[in-house]
Amino acid sequence: MMILDSIDELLVHIKEVQLDVIELSNDSLMKMSSFIEKNGLEIDEDISTALQYQDIVTQQLNASIEAIDSMKKNIEFFSNAFKSDEGLANESLVELQEKLTATLQEAKDKKSRFSGKHASEHAEDEIEFF
Amino acid sequence: MPLVIFVDDSETALASTRMSTNSMPIEVKQYTEAQVALAEIKAGMIPDLIVTDLNMPVMNGLEFLKELRAFAPTSRTPTLMLTTETKAELKQQGKALGLTGWIVKPFNPAQLKQAITRVLRLPA
Repeated sequence: MMILDSIDELLVHIKEVQLDVIELSNDSLMKMSSFIEKNGLEIDEDISTALQYQDIVTQQLNASIEAIDSMKKNIEFFSNAFKSDEGLANESLVELQEKLTATLQEAKDKKSRFSGKHASEHAEDEIEFF
Repeated sequence: MPLVIFVDDSETALASTRMSTNSMPIEVKQYTEAQVALAEIKAGMIPDLIVTDLNMPVMNGLEFLKELRAFAPTSRTPTLMLTTETKAELKQQGKALGLTGWIVKPFNPAQLKQAITRVLRLPA
């Protein structure tokens, strides 16, 4: 199905853009932190937080890349089933929809989990000791 | 000086912890891979405190902690999880493995220093 091929190409493109963003943001903040350390500058809470946002950005993008990989795999499976037996296509389509829904839910769950304090205004600022 | 090791696959997170603790009376070693830190520990490096990220490729923070607890010299070494993760179930798993505490990123540098001071019983 040509439409599935187009979606696949779009997903590949989105993944490549996200990988570039991860690399650029990491390079950018490593240059900043290298400058700070080289000049013996002290960092305050805001700068420390800004540096740590890069980690959150990377984890969020990696989680969405995992979702893209999962979507690609499921679309490819459906596409192969469709090509080999159109009779199986309807059944496979339902299965594809279920898998894509599960993938989306998992991605949303990770978005929430990997946001740290950034995601919640009510997140505790205290360190939790056990 | 007490040896504190930081394990995080994010170089910027390690830079942030390094800059936040550079005035403390501690020796710091940093690793981007838990399995490399574990190999050095098993080769004889015994840290006084371990601060580790949770979500890392190859070996995650909980797997690392499990290995540390199974190795006699680090079976009771204080260990803090420094992570973006907020899932209660994972905190419970860490607690069951003898984790000392859980810090959610982005951390406040002053609080990280306080936590290290408290765990290592350094002069305030």
